[in-house]
This record gives sequence, structure tokens and C-alpha cells, in this order.
Amino acid sequence: MEKLNRRNFMTLAGASGAALAVGVGKSKKALAGSVKFENGGRDFSPVTGKERKAIPTACWQCVTRDSMIGYVEDGRLKKLEGHPGSIRTLGKLCAKGQAGVNQVYFPDRILHPLKRVGKRGEHKWKRISWDEALDLVASKLKPLRDAGTPELFMYQYGRHKASQAATMYDFMAAYGTKTIGNHTSVCEAAKWVGQESLWGGMYDNWDYDKTDYVVNFGSNQFETHTNHIPTSQRLIRAMIDRGVPLYTFDVRLSNTAAKSTEWIPINPGHDGLVMLAMINVIMNEGLFRKDHFKFMRVTPDYHATTDQKIAAIKKEVAKFTPAFAEKRSGVPASKIKEIARGFAKAKSACLVTYRGTVMHYHGADQERAAMLLAAITNNLDTPGGRVMGVGAGWKAPSTPAAKVHKGLHVKDGFKGEAVFPTHHVSHQVGPVIKDGFAGRPKVYWWSCYNPAFINGDNNEWASILKDESIIPFLITSTITYDESSQYADLILPDVTYLERWDWEDMVSANQIAEFYIRQPLIKPLGEARCQGDVWPDLAKRIGFELAWKDKKDFVRQSCEMTPGVKEAGGFDYMMKEGVWHDPNDKGNYGFYAKKVDVSGDGVILDKKTGVYWNWKKAGVKSEAAAKKAGYLGTKGAKKAYVAQNIEGTPLSAYAPNTKFTKSGLLDFYSDNFKDKGLPAFPTYTPTPEHEAMAKDELIMTTYKVAVHSHSRTTHCKWLTEIKHDNPGWINSKTAAERGIKDGDTIKVHNKLGAITTTAYVTEGIVPGVIAISHHFGRQHSGIYGSGKNNPINGGASSDPDAKNMTWKKHGVHPNAIIPNSSDPISGTQRWMDTVVRVAKA
Amino acid sequence: MDGSMESPKRTKTKIGRRDVLKGAGMAVAGAAALATPVSEAEAAKKAPRWVMVMDLRKCIGCRACTVACKAENDVSLGRFRTVVQEKTTGTFPNTKKGFLPIMCNHCEGNKKDKVPPCVKVCPEYPGPRKVFKTPDGGKIRYRGGATYKRPDGLVLIDSELCIGCGKCIDGCPYGVRSFNPFVKAGKKPEKMAADKCDMCKERVANGIDPSCVNTCQGRARIFGDLNDPNSEVAKLVKEHDLAKNVLLPEEGTDPHVFYIDPDNMLKDLYTKREKGKLDHYVDLIP
Repeated sequence: MEKLNRRNFMTLAGASGAALAVGVGKSKKALAGSVKFENGGRDFSPVTGKERKAIPTACWQCVTRDSMIGYVEDGRLKKLEGHPGSIRTLGKLCAKGQAGVNQVYFPDRILHPLKRVGKRGEHKWKRISWDEALDLVASKLKPLRDAGTPELFMYQYGRHKASQAATMYDFMAAYGTKTIGNHTSVCEAAKWVGQESLWGGMYDNWDYDKTDYVVNFGSNQFETHTNHIPTSQRLIRAMIDRGVPLYTFDVRLSNTAAKSTEWIPINPGHDGLVMLAMINVIMNEGLFRKDHFKFMRVTPDYHATTDQKIAAIKKEVAKFTPAFAEKRSGVPASKIKEIARGFAKAKSACLVTYRGTVMHYHGADQERAAMLLAAITNNLDTPGGRVMGVGAGWKAPSTPAAKVHKGLHVKDGFKGEAVFPTHHVSHQVGPVIKDGFAGRPKVYWWSCYNPAFINGDNNEWASILKDESIIPFLITSTITYDESSQYADLILPDVTYLERWDWEDMVSANQIAEFYIRQPLIKPLGEARCQGDVWPDLAKRIGFELAWKDKKDFVRQSCEMTPGVKEAGGFDYMMKEGVWHDPNDKGNYGFYAKKVDVSGDGVILDKKTGVYWNWKKAGVKSEAAAKKAGYLGTKGAKKAYVAQNIEGTPLSAYAPNTKFTKSGLLDFYSDNFKDKGLPAFPTYTPTPEHEAMAKDELIMTTYKVAVHSHSRTTHCKWLTEIKHDNPGWINSKTAAERGIKDGDTIKVHNKLGAITTTAYVTEGIVPGVIAISHHFGRQHSGIYGSGKNNPINGGASSDPDAKNMTWKKHGVHPNAIIPNSSDPISGTQRWMDTVVRVAKA
Repeated sequence: MDGSMESPKRTKTKIGRRDVLKGAGMAVAGAAALATPVSEAEAAKKAPRWVMVMDLRKCIGCRACTVACKAENDVSLGRFRTVVQEKTTGTFPNTKKGFLPIMCNHCEGNKKDKVPPCVKVCPEYPGPRKVFKTPDGGKIRYRGGATYKRPDGLVLIDSELCIGCGKCIDGCPYGVRSFNPFVKAGKKPEKMAADKCDMCKERVANGIDPSCVNTCQGRARIFGDLNDPNSEVAKLVKEHDLAKNVLLPEEGTDPHVFYIDPDNMLKDLYTKREKGKLDHYVDLIP
């Protein structure tokens, strides 16, 4: 594509400092100002002027994982910047990314393996060698494997993605355990579950480069988002450069709300209702577009006509009038109508949702309402609309799984807690293990994860880790001492992301996949070791071999076997350039409209659903048996899905790619939901705890700020300097009712306990709510994050800058009074539903 | 060598061939002198005038600039070379919040002598005679100092000449200077040298945008040469009539950081320094 063609500035940039003489060209005017500045790719010491070594790599401060350039001076990492050649980041990096340098050099970093010698939580440790550490781990893991109980080894991760996850899963499969926990339920699982029940996949991208109109429910993407830098910069530019309006519904005046065309304050938990009211307006005023109705199923009938579907949708949303929505949500009916009309009439429009929408009771259903709004206006996977995310598809080496390969059922919460925990119920892993109904692991290893801080009721999680009778052996791979690692039996010093290899695959904002890698900018400090280097070593000690010798080898092999990357030059190319995308890729839209050949052997049409499926692939004995049982009546048939009959043409449509068995239609009427007693069609379900609230109670919500991730950045001094305290945001009226003035000390309490913070009395939040960000109140986060050095010596160098530290406050942790409570549909932790009382302390 | 970056194949820029480095203003005293061949007939004694335009419509308050600056320049805790001020106004539900990035204004100085106030109060100014080499080969003579203004408009600090008296810190009406605990005052090593934004002069000398500009998502920060009528900054200053959209125009300092501010937020958003204090110049999210 022309716009992405090679520029020659980097050739010039590549020349070393001494050779910067560049001909201006005699034909050009040599007035002083004819200078065109490049936006990056090189950096220079402000002290010596010497050019710093530039190495392409990738960020890990959050899941966005921006491709970037690291600049190194005399072996020390000095600076990070966005990769100017990246189609995702466009050379930009956020505040967190810029502070990545702090991850390497913070004075409380752990740089040596440590073995516990006191009681759990006594902070008594002995430095041991890696040999001793891995022999100790092998002595715990080998007997479990030899006894045929590999599932008693549990691994849980917070942030693992791409090759960091692939190498870990490869080891775990070869070892034999499927007891592998994640963290998605504290993130946004409800969003994915809602989407999977419809278009079969997950991760919506918003096509800001092409959109004409944006409606945002509960996403603070100008500050923080799973794809922050790629999307946020495109949105603000679309707004100012092309006049695209942005309407933000949020309980709080976030930076995103502040920069929106209009902030529309909304009561917590009512995003879905407002969307249903918008659908009501669009349907009743005839503003819908019929284009996508052929892909939608809105009644039990798979073959309903468009007119029947229109009538059915109208009937379903009839009671959700703008006036009704106003009463419950606090959003004026006139505003709902105005935005509904604008959204429907725009040439293309993005319907954005995130935690504000889904981290609630029935959050997954609210996401289904969002999808419906996008579908009836033909804004699903169309240019400028809500599109299916596109990421890099890497090939990677893999080791055969162990003969015994099984897991404990500790990942999906308590019995009856969640109907579709397709992304698991990670916040309940601890409580479920404590209960013991699904068995207990004997060894629990966590990494890039801090369960005793990031989950609800985190003090209970801490008590579970502390109790040796619950899990006998605890291992953590970490760079810092924290609320969880203090209870470990063995601490393995992990590398930072700036000291390791990976291939990366995060979603692009422009529908063109970008392949990119992370490479070490410096040698790991101390004895820190990448987990991807530990796995092959540990495998040998236990008695098996992996198909790769270390993380670098894994990345190298992947580069040489991944189509596209391989032809571009493989590993050598990626080390040099950092990023690759197919220059002929025009962007992936409308995947559902692809025509499919259904003439293959074994492919039959299921009359009831209109699904073409391959009965042979489904493992059915005969065609007759397959026809008798039907597509929906055959276990595993969704794996044999071929196409959907759309008005007589077999199209790829919305294939069931996840745990939901469904046709190729968008299941706005969902048998999956109905059969489990959940609403078959998107609806409004009030939050039980909110219905039962006393007059003096408030709803507590949490949020993230621009300069911190949830739990991995408070030791980064440049970030914590800017934000280290988290007062409770409270509306001036709500505060006045309680005699609270700005800056007053307040007590926020419920039956779980109480926290004390200061009041930030503001006009920037809806009445009846208190909002407290969830990064702070760290028990251990080193000098910068908690105001005191960690109680153990991790072996890192001191920071002469520590004496310049100015802040004394370190905030409070709201999770202490937020129960682990799940959306009954998806198993998502309900961060936004907590009921509290607030009083002057 | 693993990962050295000699010649990446792509960049994001949509505009065509860029003539990098064809004349980043270089002080002779600078580290790497640029030899810039130009035809003799075209040679002229004209320096660039580096300026910053801040598009307030596009600043989303993300603080990437604040942190990028910290890293680029090893700025100590407690001090900043640039910050974002924010302010919430109005009554619920008609509440607004705005963001204002501020930094050294690289003032031209008053009309009479074109000396910025910080330079004027520096006891070490005027100091050594210096020569500025224009991109087209011309030479401009000027005077150095512990704080001085270069012919390309950058107001700079020479820590070797600094005596750590703090007069420039007090004398700056914007309060964007502070002492650097990591750098000794050259002439009085028991004291700290003064410090502030130098517009990433080493990057600028090599044709690379300042660090804060480089990382700004919204492209709210635009850097360039006001003396070049074809530059983006010159066009923006003209298009939006920005000459008076500066901080504290009444001080007569002729600041060269301009603000695109169609909603007229500048006055409401700006928190001035209190005399003798720098509390306004701390980046802090409420």
C-alpha cells in the first residue's frame, strides 16, 4: 500500500553521528526553515550528544503491547519510544510505556532466587542458586507427574500472551497439567462471553480511521484500554481532523468523557438499558438498515423473514422506551433519542463498550444489546464500524503433550456461580481451592500475577496463600516483592519485558495484522531469568525434553515457520526491523460474507438451522444418522460447521468458534441462553443488590487512570510521582448530604470491612456513587509504591533519585471491601456493583 | 549484532520523501557539527526559529509527554521540564474538564532588547562570545551565559557557567525552571545548576522531533521552524492567528509556545505560579 511505502529517512538515520552530512539539493531553497522533522527512530544523549543504540522491541506495561524502539547508552537502557514503522502504534507510546525504564532499575527489584526460611509472611528468606531452586521445583513436580497426578500442579498467570503464553502452555502440556488459571474474569470476560454467544468470536475493534460517529459506553480509552495507543490516538484525530462526534456515557467524568463531544452521566449498570432504548427509537422511527438482518436470528425461527424480524425486535424492545430508560438510567429521554438518531443516520458508526458496561450483574447481556445496536444499523465488521479484531497468526514449535494430561476443575467458580464461564472465574480460584470441592493443587505457581491484591476480597486471598494447610508449596516468578509473593515458598527472579524475547500478536486498529517481536534491550540484571528459558531447563530436570531450547530459539523457530514473516527474511529480518505486515493486505472486513464451497465430501444442509456441516468431520456414523440427529443434536457438530445458508447462498457467516453451539446466524435469540434460564433476547435486568439498597447507601465503582496499570506499575517512580493517592470521587450533593467537604477524611464501609480515604468532592460524577481507583494501597510495592523499601533485600542497586521523592501518600485499596461476586452469565467479577456507606471519618 | 536498527523498511508517514537533517539549527558548540552543503548563491544568514504549537483540542491529558521528558532528560523526582495542568469546571451535569500542557516558552524577550527575563537576571550573562552556524552555512555571533538565548530561539542553560544562584528560577514569570540535583553548578560546585526544557536540542540538531512531540498521541504538540513559511507551525500560527494565544502575554516576554484554543479555555485552565513557589509546575492527577 502506497501510504506504507518505504521512506528513506531511516537510511539517513542509520548513519552514525559523524556522517550526518546530507545534501540539501541545489534545486531547493536553503532558507533556514526548510527542515522536515522525523518523529522518531533515533535518540541522542542530552549530555554528550552521542547517538544511542536503537533496538526494536515491544512494550508489556499493559496488554496493548505496543511495538517500540529501546535506546541504550553504554549498556544502560535510557529511553523507550513507539516504533515509527508500526502500523499499530504509529510511533506513539503512552506514559506507562515511557516509564518502562523504571521496571528495570527500580531499587526494590528481586534479582536472585529466594527460598523461604521463616513462616509464610515472616519475610525471612535465604538466597539460593538457580540450580538449587530448579532442583527444588523438580523435586515437587516430578513425583506428581510420576504418580499420574500432574493436575495437582497448578499454574496461574496474570499477563501472559503470545509466545510468553505459548512457551508456558507447551511446557505444561508436555508435563501433563491442564490446571492453568488466568485472570480474564477480573478484566472483561463478560464482554467476550456476550460476543461469543453472537458472532462466535471475541475482541471487537473500533474502526476509527474510517468511522463517522462514535458512541462510547463505559470505556475510558483516552486513559487506558486493552488496545490503548492504537485506538486512542486514532479516535482523537478522527474527532479533530474529521469532525467525528464522540458521545460518552459514564458515571464519572473520565478524561475520555471530558474530551468527548458530550459527556452523558449515567447511573451504574444501566448502559444496556440505554442501548435498548436507542434500539427502540431506531426501530420505531424506521432508522434501521436491513442489510444485516439476513445474518440475524431474533426469534426461535431460523428462517424468519426480514419483516418478521423487524416486528419481533420492535416487540422485544417495546417496553424500553426512552422515558422508561430515563427513569432508571438518569439519561434524559431527549438525549437518548438524539444520539440514537445520530448513530443510525451516520454513514458508519462505532458502538464502544468496556468495563463500565460489562463488569456488572448480567454484564454479558448488556454486551449483547451493544451488538444488536451495531447489527441493526449495519455497523458490524463494516468499514467505520464495530469490527472483529485482527491480530498476527504466528506458527510456533510445539512439544507433544504428555500421555497423562488433565486438570482440576478449580477454574470456573463455585457450582451454579456462572452459566458460561468460557473465560473462567479466576477471582474465585483461591476460594474454590480453599473450599476443596474440586480438589486442591499441591503446588501452585503464579507469574506476572498478584492474586492477593488484584482480586475482590483480596484479604481473603492473602489468608488462603498464607495457610500452608491449603496449598503446601507455592512458587512465584516475579520481579518484585508484593502482597502475594510474600507468602511464597520459593521466589524465582523473573526478567522484565525489556530483557527478554517474544513474538507478539496484539490486534491492529486498522484491520491489517501486524507481526512484531520483543527482544532484550540489555542483559538481564543480576540472576533474573526469563521463564521461557527456565521451562526447557526444568523439563530436563523432571525428565522430558521440549521442542525448543530457550525463548530466543522458540522465537527464532516461529519466525522461520510463519508464512509472510519467513519470506520477508525470518528471524534476522524481525531482529532488525521489529515489525512486519503484508504490504498487500487491504484490511479485513465483512468476514461473514465470504462464499463457501459446500460440495465437499460429507457436507450436508441442516434444514432446521440452515447450517451446512460435515457429518464425517463430526464423527457421525452415517449421513442418515447425521440427518436424523441434526446439526444441533450432534455433539461436537460445531467443529464440523461449514457455512450458513443465507438467502440461498452458502456464506461463512458467524461460525461458532467458541464453546457456544450455534448456527452461523447472530443469535440475538439464543437457545444457549434460554435453555439455561437466561434471557433469550437482550433485555434489562436490574442488579439485585441495587434494588435492595437503603437510602443512605451508595454504589462504589472503580477505575483506572492514565498512568497506571492495575497492579504492575506503582514501583515505577515516574508514574507514581504523578498519581499515588486515590481519593473517593463523590458528587457535591451526595457529599453535602453526609456533611462531607472536599479533602475530608472519609470512611467507606460495608459488611466486608472499611477503608479510609479522602473525599474528592466534584461535579464530575453522578450523585449516589463513590468512585475509587484501584491501583493503590499497596502493602509492598517498594519505596515508590508503598513509601518503604521491601522487607527483603532483592539485590538491586539503590536509586540516588529516591532522596528526591516528594510524595507521602500511597492510597487505599478498594478491593478489600469488594466481594468476589460474579455475573451469573459469564462469571465476570462485578467491580461496579458494590454497595457501601460513606461517612466522614 | 542482535537487533540493531539500521534501516527499517517502513514508516507510518503518509507524506512523501522527507528531507531530514537538511538544516537542524546547530550551535558550533554543539556535539556533532552538521556539514550542510548548499550552493553559495543561496547561502543566507538566517537561523530557524524553533517553536511549539499546542493544539488544546487534541490534548487528552494522557501524560505521555510528562513521562517521556522525564526519561529523555533524566529529570529528577520532584522536578519537571513539562507538565499537564488540568481543571474541572461547571456544575453537574454540565461539567467540563480540560488539559493544558505547559513548558518553557522559549521567549523571544521584550521588544526593546529581545532578552528573555530569565536571561536578563542571569549574573553570568552576557558571557562568552559564541557563533551560531545557520543551516545554510552563514554565521551568527551571539553571547553565551549560564542562561542564554541562541539565535534559533532556544533559551538554554550552560551548567558549566552556572553559579546556582536561582535568580533565573525566580525571574521566570512562568515558573518552569528548577534546580537539578544531579548536576552541579560549574562555577559553584557546592550548588545545583538550574534546569529546564531545552527542546531536546540534541534530537533537534539531528532532525528528530523533541521527545514530548514524538510520543504525543493526538499530535497536540507540533514542533518546527516559525521562520519557514511552509512549516506546519508557521501555517498553524497564521491559520489560527496564534500570535496572542500564549501564556501571560501581558508580561511582554513574547513566548514562543502557542496554543490552538478555539474554545477559549486557556485562561480558565492555566494555573499561574505563586511568587517564590513552583507548586503549579508539578504534574499531579487528582
